[in-house]
Amino acid sequence: MNPGTAVTRQPLLKRVNTLLRYSPGHRWYVPYLFLLPGLTLYILWMLYPLVYELYISFFDWNIMPGQVSEFVGLENYREIFADSNFWFALRNTALYALVTVIGQIVLGLAVALLVHRVIFARRVFRAIYYLPVVTSWVVVAFLFLYMFNAQAGGLINYLLVSVFHVLPEPVAWLGNPDTAWVAIDALGIWKGVGWSMVLFLAALQGIPVELYEAAAIDGADEKQQFLHITLPLIRATLLFVTVMLVIGGFNVFISVYLMTGGGPLHRTEVVLSYMYNRAFGRLRFGYGASLSYVLAAIIVTINFVQMRLFRRPTIEY
Amino acid sequence: MKAKWITILLALALLIPLGLSQAQEEVVLQFWHTYNETSPEAEMLVETLIPMFEEAHPGIRVESVPFPYGEFRQTMLTALAGGQGPDLARLDIIWSPEFADLGLLAALDEVMPDFQDYADEVFPGPLSTNTYNGHTYGLPLDTNTRVFMYNTTLYEQAGIEAPPATIDELAAQCDAIKGLGDNYYVFADGGTYGWAVLPWIWSFGGDITDPEITTASGYLNGEATVAAYEFLYEMVSSGCFSPSFIGAAEVDASTSYFTDITASILDGPWMFPIAEAQYPDFTIETALMPAGDGGSISVVGGENIAMFASTAHPEEALEFIRFTQSDEYQLAMSETGQLTVLPRLLETEYYQTHPYYGIFLRQLETARARLPHPAWTTIEEVLTDTGQLILRGEMSVQDALDAAAEEIDGILAEYAG
Repeated sequence: MNPGTAVTRQPLLKRVNTLLRYSPGHRWYVPYLFLLPGLTLYILWMLYPLVYELYISFFDWNIMPGQVSEFVGLENYREIFADSNFWFALRNTALYALVTVIGQIVLGLAVALLVHRVIFARRVFRAIYYLPVVTSWVVVAFLFLYMFNAQAGGLINYLLVSVFHVLPEPVAWLGNPDTAWVAIDALGIWKGVGWSMVLFLAALQGIPVELYEAAAIDGADEKQQFLHITLPLIRATLLFVTVMLVIGGFNVFISVYLMTGGGPLHRTEVVLSYMYNRAFGRLRFGYGASLSYVLAAIIVTINFVQMRLFRRPTIEY
Repeated sequence: MKAKWITILLALALLIPLGLSQAQEEVVLQFWHTYNETSPEAEMLVETLIPMFEEAHPGIRVESVPFPYGEFRQTMLTALAGGQGPDLARLDIIWSPEFADLGLLAALDEVMPDFQDYADEVFPGPLSTNTYNGHTYGLPLDTNTRVFMYNTTLYEQAGIEAPPATIDELAAQCDAIKGLGDNYYVFADGGTYGWAVLPWIWSFGGDITDPEITTASGYLNGEATVAAYEFLYEMVSSGCFSPSFIGAAEVDASTSYFTDITASILDGPWMFPIAEAQYPDFTIETALMPAGDGGSISVVGGENIAMFASTAHPEEALEFIRFTQSDEYQLAMSETGQLTVLPRLLETEYYQTHPYYGIFLRQLETARARLPHPAWTTIEEVLTDTGQLILRGEMSVQDALDAAAEEIDGILAEYAG
């Protein structure tokens, strides 16, 4: 026992405890113990695969056990920028994100405004609109496959041809790139409207009623109230919803994979379906890993720009 | 206290025989395949053949794992990469070179002492689809080809008396069939993949590559292949052939054939059991593939059985492979529309008196196989896309095929030397 160390140790521990805002009676490590299970899972299932994927992206990766993979440096990334298929898939992804984000925000806000005014059974309406959000992508993709069936008996064809007489004959929706996008976009919007509605609804409920009363006394009509009170006050929610929807839009995969498989003629290929085809179809896992890192970089950049554009001082009532 | 110890000891004692029995437990072989579950194939395997094998080989259990065709190759590759692959698989003959190239298959000519005895008993054509770089990685399970099938109801209504002997005669049927209505078609197929377009390319006298599979230039964009695609484009764009070629038909090719929308298709022997099960009133009538300048050339299909290099039970797996080459297995599968690979069975009364195998055996005399190349899947993707560009009228035939030939040359170059 060295008495000297005991003396120097005491204040150090105290300093650490102060730093951690805990008095000596508290066991400072307790919160970390509670974090441990979640953190372990995160590291094991998120962080480790992410880092490993980055590693793979520098190789001509051979997935078969016991075979060597060749280190190629940045070759995969260089190839991506020269790959016209990638650019086309990225264009498709961006268009999908644009159409579905706007669709989900406009419809989500519209539904939120309606549900906000509903007095009777508001929860029921909220649940109905939210239902598609919690339904499995696989299930609803198949549902839309049936609805957009090429036969005259497919629901959409039946409605447009036999009921409303909008179209002269049934359309092979998924056999044609342009009409296939209609089906894929429709699914994306329909499935997401409920999510943005719930968030907008929460934001609407947070706006003090007095503001509308005061505006009404000053002679502001409904439209003016919406533009000058509602919209500015749900700005933070709008930003959050936009950012999350853009991330979701760029990650579109299951619906495309199940409904068109990227076809016809790769015209509905999105970045993730292209990544999947290259990795699992042609067994080019290094290239696939690079593709997903490029996509991640694009999403981060877009979100960064969005945050910048939307930044405003917070409003206090 | 004492009682507690006794309980623990007893519990441990109970575990000992359990461990012993587990050590002697039967070997389980995983057999992955795409035997059709809506036709009698899978049922025959699971309910008749596997029990037959298990009875003759106590201690071996065969687990049949069926997959839909479209997902099979990818699922298998992913599973094998993760070390979770099967012991045995029934591979489409076009996948054998790729799997062998990846080092996944056991070379049967090395690990199976009596391999040559079995190899000598099968048709050389189907056997050759197992050979890659000087080794043989499997044995053929079944063989097939596509023949011309026509719809007698539509032929009668349109006043067509006999199936076409030539491609020109087929094209000449258009007016008669279209006379029945706009939504009737002379012929339908499911797309522009190799299985669909190759009979036309070959029968026109064209090809995809040279016989040594080193270059596509001069073959895929050669005169005869161009003529074949020109023909298909003309037929599809004029509405004589079904828009099913470009995925724009209301129903798929075989359904449209069975439901009196399409007058003819090319298809395999499994269509008979399917018709029997789903369209009992329908009679399939067959003829040879209509001939062009290159003759009447159809495409060879079929499956091989292969053992994976990663199997823990090679002896037992080989025993099952031997069983698939037996008369019992081959004759039982013949009843489900799977054509045998054993020439000796053709002499049996079953084959001599069979109602529909004759036409397939005749067509097989001239039929050809798709490229036995490890990059076939990638090459076929190019072929499929090119066919779509052409049939959708987005590119001229010559331009599209020139571009495709160049792309395939690039793919082939990666494997050269």
